[in-house]
Amino acid sequence: MDIKAYIQSGIIESYVLGLASAEEAAELETLCMQHAEIKQAVEDFEALIEKNMAAGSIKPPAELKQQVLDALDDEFEAPKTLVIPPAPATQSDGISGAKVLEIGKPGIWRGVAAAAIILLVASAGLNVYYYKGYKSASDSYQALLDKQATLEAYQARYNSLQQTINIFQDSAMHVVKMGGVKKEEPNDVATIYWDTRTKDVYLFVNNLPQAPAGKQYQLWAIVDGKPVDAGVIGDCDGVCKMKNIPRAEMFAVTLEKAGGNPTPTLNQMYVAGKI
Amino acid sequence: MTGTDTKYTENELVEMLKARQQQAFSYLYDNYSGALYAVVLSIVPDRELANDVLQEVFIKIWRQIDLYDACKGRLFTWMLNIARNASIDMVRSKGFNNSQQNRELTEAVYETAGSTSTNINKIGLRKLVYQLKEDYRVLVELAYFQGYTQEEISKLMNIPLGTVKTRMRAALIQLRDIIKS
Repeated sequence: MDIKAYIQSGIIESYVLGLASAEEAAELETLCMQHAEIKQAVEDFEALIEKNMAAGSIKPPAELKQQVLDALDDEFEAPKTLVIPPAPATQSDGISGAKVLEIGKPGIWRGVAAAAIILLVASAGLNVYYYKGYKSASDSYQALLDKQATLEAYQARYNSLQQTINIFQDSAMHVVKMGGVKKEEPNDVATIYWDTRTKDVYLFVNNLPQAPAGKQYQLWAIVDGKPVDAGVIGDCDGVCKMKNIPRAEMFAVTLEKAGGNPTPTLNQMYVAGKI
Repeated sequence: MTGTDTKYTENELVEMLKARQQQAFSYLYDNYSGALYAVVLSIVPDRELANDVLQEVFIKIWRQIDLYDACKGRLFTWMLNIARNASIDMVRSKGFNNSQQNRELTEAVYETAGSTSTNINKIGLRKLVYQLKEDYRVLVELAYFQGYTQEEISKLMNIPLGTVKTRMRAALIQLRDIIKS
């Protein structure tokens, strides 16, 4: 092998600057051990780089050092040697100087620390593994919950529509069509389904303007010429079940404040119909 | 603490660092932070970010000192590579190079941003790289300061991989001669 050519190939510079591929680096490290010239060339270039970079130093902000020291604060080993002053009464002529006592055997602790780190890493690995398993199960569970919620919503809607259809088909229902009474809203229509057996009142809104925010429609039964509250129209899907009204001559719907009023606001009457 | 008047050999220093001595770390910082800061700044021009990277570099050096193998080279070379890699990681994580491929390479390469930034062309190795001939300079910029592999450079610049390798070697030889002179 032509050592000179190898040294001159640029591989050494590439290795020292961290630009060599893994194979190139491995080859160079092997050759380095076999050929003193190559080793020397590597050391020369390293020294050159170090010298050059030391010359181009830029002083970092002064407070940075303390920040790094603080960050590593609990990683520094306490000073290993403890100075014990000589016992004063042991010998009359007195021994000068201090005894230096080695504390702890770093070798053992290094072993313990290594074992602890291995255990920690292994445990961290297991954590990741189990967390992944947990995460995937938890995601599937969440997806199922979402599906179930959707199904329940459909079920509720189905039930309410079924109830509406039942009411429409029931021949015992007395149907009262309430037409628009407001000049601006002549096409408003709502229908009363009044159960002749139980006297329960159901209301179906065929066509009413959307109630503005803070307002609700309220149904009134007119009994002996006097309005009787038959309930407010909430967010019902299809047919709304209203209050039980034993007898009435007329029904009417007015727009009232949310929650309803004790007496109707007559100029806000939208639909009305006689029995 | 004393320390400034003491001089340790590289081997002594490494041994003391492995023994987790704060005094050794302090010595290491005092003696090498300037050179490593210049390395970081040559890649991360933003001072704030560069400070973060330098901290991270020293923490890495401290925590990984057991991985340092004196047989493989000098302590400084090892630290230099830690600093370079950490800097490139920072630049990449900040997405500085996101639209790299859409821009003129040489423009991107010599771009500096903001008032807290350093003019990176005047720092350390970069100052020397700037003296390389154009073909070489771009290669070293991309590989050394931006961490692209030779394969990536080959694709990026649409040059055959063999040519990238040959030119890179020649560029580094020229760089070495510039440093020596």
